[in-house]
Amino acid sequence: MQASLFVGSHLRRDLLILLALAAVGLLVPHLLNRGLIFIAGMVWINAVFGLSFNLLFGTSGVLSFGQAMFYAAGAYATAVFTQQLGWPLVPSLLIAAIAGGLLAGCIGFVALRRSEGVYFSILTLAFAELVHLLVANTGFLGKNDGLSALPRPRFSLGGWGWDLSRGDTFYYFIVLVSVALIALLRWVTGTGFGRALQAIRQDPERAEFLGIPVQRHRWMVFTLAGATTAAAGSLVAPWAQIVTPELAHWSQSTNPILYTLLGGSAYFWGPVLGAIALSTVFYVTRTLVGLSDLVTGLLLLLVVLALPGGMLGVLSRWTTRSRPAHHKPQEPRP
Amino acid sequence: MNPANRRDILKYGAAAAASTLSLPGLNLAHAQAGPLKIGLITPLSGPQEFIGSYVKNGAEIAVDQINKAGGIQGRQVALEIRDDKANPAAALAAARELLGAGINLHTGGISSAVVLALIPVMQQENGVFMTCGAGTEKMNHENYSPNLFRPGDAPDARGRAQARLMAEKYPQITRWTGLIPDHEYGRTMWSIFVDGLLEFYPALTGKKPEILDPILLPYGVSDYRNSITQALRQQADGVYNATYGGDAITMFQQARGFGLMQRYKVVCDAANEFLVARGMKQQLPPHWTGMHYYAEANKGNAMSDRFVADYLAKTKDPEPLGWAAEAHASIYALAKAIEKGKSTDTKSVIANLKGLTWDTVTGSRTLRAEDNQAIKDVELVYIEPAATDKGYRVAQYQKVEGKSVLLPASPGKKLVLRTA
Repeated sequence: MQASLFVGSHLRRDLLILLALAAVGLLVPHLLNRGLIFIAGMVWINAVFGLSFNLLFGTSGVLSFGQAMFYAAGAYATAVFTQQLGWPLVPSLLIAAIAGGLLAGCIGFVALRRSEGVYFSILTLAFAELVHLLVANTGFLGKNDGLSALPRPRFSLGGWGWDLSRGDTFYYFIVLVSVALIALLRWVTGTGFGRALQAIRQDPERAEFLGIPVQRHRWMVFTLAGATTAAAGSLVAPWAQIVTPELAHWSQSTNPILYTLLGGSAYFWGPVLGAIALSTVFYVTRTLVGLSDLVTGLLLLLVVLALPGGMLGVLSRWTTRSRPAHHKPQEPRP
Repeated sequence: MNPANRRDILKYGAAAAASTLSLPGLNLAHAQAGPLKIGLITPLSGPQEFIGSYVKNGAEIAVDQINKAGGIQGRQVALEIRDDKANPAAALAAARELLGAGINLHTGGISSAVVLALIPVMQQENGVFMTCGAGTEKMNHENYSPNLFRPGDAPDARGRAQARLMAEKYPQITRWTGLIPDHEYGRTMWSIFVDGLLEFYPALTGKKPEILDPILLPYGVSDYRNSITQALRQQADGVYNATYGGDAITMFQQARGFGLMQRYKVVCDAANEFLVARGMKQQLPPHWTGMHYYAEANKGNAMSDRFVADYLAKTKDPEPLGWAAEAHASIYALAKAIEKGKSTDTKSVIANLKGLTWDTVTGSRTLRAEDNQAIKDVELVYIEPAATDKGYRVAQYQKVEGKSVLLPASPGKKLVLRTA
């Protein structure tokens, strides 16, 4: 069996890429205006959102159509804890991630026991819609208006403090947290657990036969992806300073899928590239009122039809054309 | 990774970085040069595009007129237009982008949720925002910010004027309900209207009105049949509608099939002006509606006459609706404040907008210094179906003096209202 590029090889290369991304990310406030810094912050958050989705889809072959519910859970948990309960930021973020993990654990426990494949995907969509309706009808969460004017509180650790409401400091905080989350996701991919997930994706029956507890592993990775997705969502609340039920809408669940398909689901960095590319498209088409969605849709259609391996698939073919291929990536099958 | 591969990555990376930095719109400079840019953030897609397009046209006409007259302090004016989709998150992203590009003066915003969401970012990033129709009273009360202005109708003035009119015209109709979208604007307008009913009915008719629980309509849906059925079960004589824009047209169309509006002796609509009438034509249920500006009633005002002529030339529409007039008024208010202070600096513009008296298509208005709310007369019309080209006609027009219905300023404090 050929290994996919997803397997935990190239650790050093991935570490260098992460460091390079972090360096570029930290330079952004020195190069771009405040409006673009805001978009850059969203790109980091979306990159973690996309990578969390691809930990499910690309690594273990579990396709969820409802990841927005965890994203919204993280965002709303942070909003409630920081604004309404006045908690410090770090415990709020941790609680948000735990909330997402717990929600994913509960939903995964029900959905993964009862279904798999496309049935599981539809079930996650149904659960996400349920969460969306609950959020939109809960007075405590601001109903359809959501919660606005959210604070960017002070970050303090021991005697050391960092005022995140001033200047671009919250952007740096997003970069640091996102880098840590990306490192965590990359580390998980390379562990024995990550390799077992890839075995499950390639052939669940054979994996089961080899002694891998398929159901438990799927539940664990679904829970983990829920927690990291909620961690990404938790950064949105203080960054955008507003949370609305749209965060849990099904269209939000399509975002990480688009990032992944655009960048290349067979590659760890695929969703990151996809998030950057899609944000660039949104930015460039922002003044094409009424046409921006059309342009974005056509572009995605083009990529899916012409570049089935995503952008990294094309890049990979270019770089390996002149030399014997060491690795032939395999597309995950849901 | 072999060396050749690394070189390739460096090469492609450098090319990508170079192309990214050369993208148009990456404004590295913060200060504005060239024309004076004003941000226009309003819905240009989705169900509220109906209203947003009026805002855009009104603002563009004001800018054209000002530019033809020599600009503001000799500088030409240009609009930077962004679609907020009536969505707070999209509006915030647009506002941050424009503020980041050095544009500090903004107008637009017809959604209450959008305006409330923009308050912190305008304060943090030192911007000014003029709403062209958002009805939340919170922006003048508990969420008051010096950076936000409402150059048009106040929700308390509008809702109380409508309640007073109902008490004057329909003293026998004392059993009221509402068709209220379950969001900030809907709840605000209902609360104020109820407050007005509870004040004016006893004062003018000696009767205490009976207020039924309003029907709360879900937000962001296209099917109101459940809510309509729920309304059919109520025995009310008067109804107050606060759905607006494309949502209102959908709701009125669906209600027609059930004969809902025909059950009420009077229908009072908060703010749709002629939108529902234009959508339904002769199938329109007769109703009162609030107008930011009714062109016919402002004939003879030179500014209004010119606005109507310019609007017709630009859009082939002879009857601009109120949101266009509010956008027009907001641009002229900014222009006058800049000229008064001889500066586009946020601090100076805010200082000169406060207490500003300026000419508009509805006559002279004053921005109350305490809470940034315009003191403006409320215009109300009664529309009914008619065998005309438009399919409807204005049967009655009523102007209510703004000062007589506007509640006193109380920035920073929650508005206290009577409840049923």
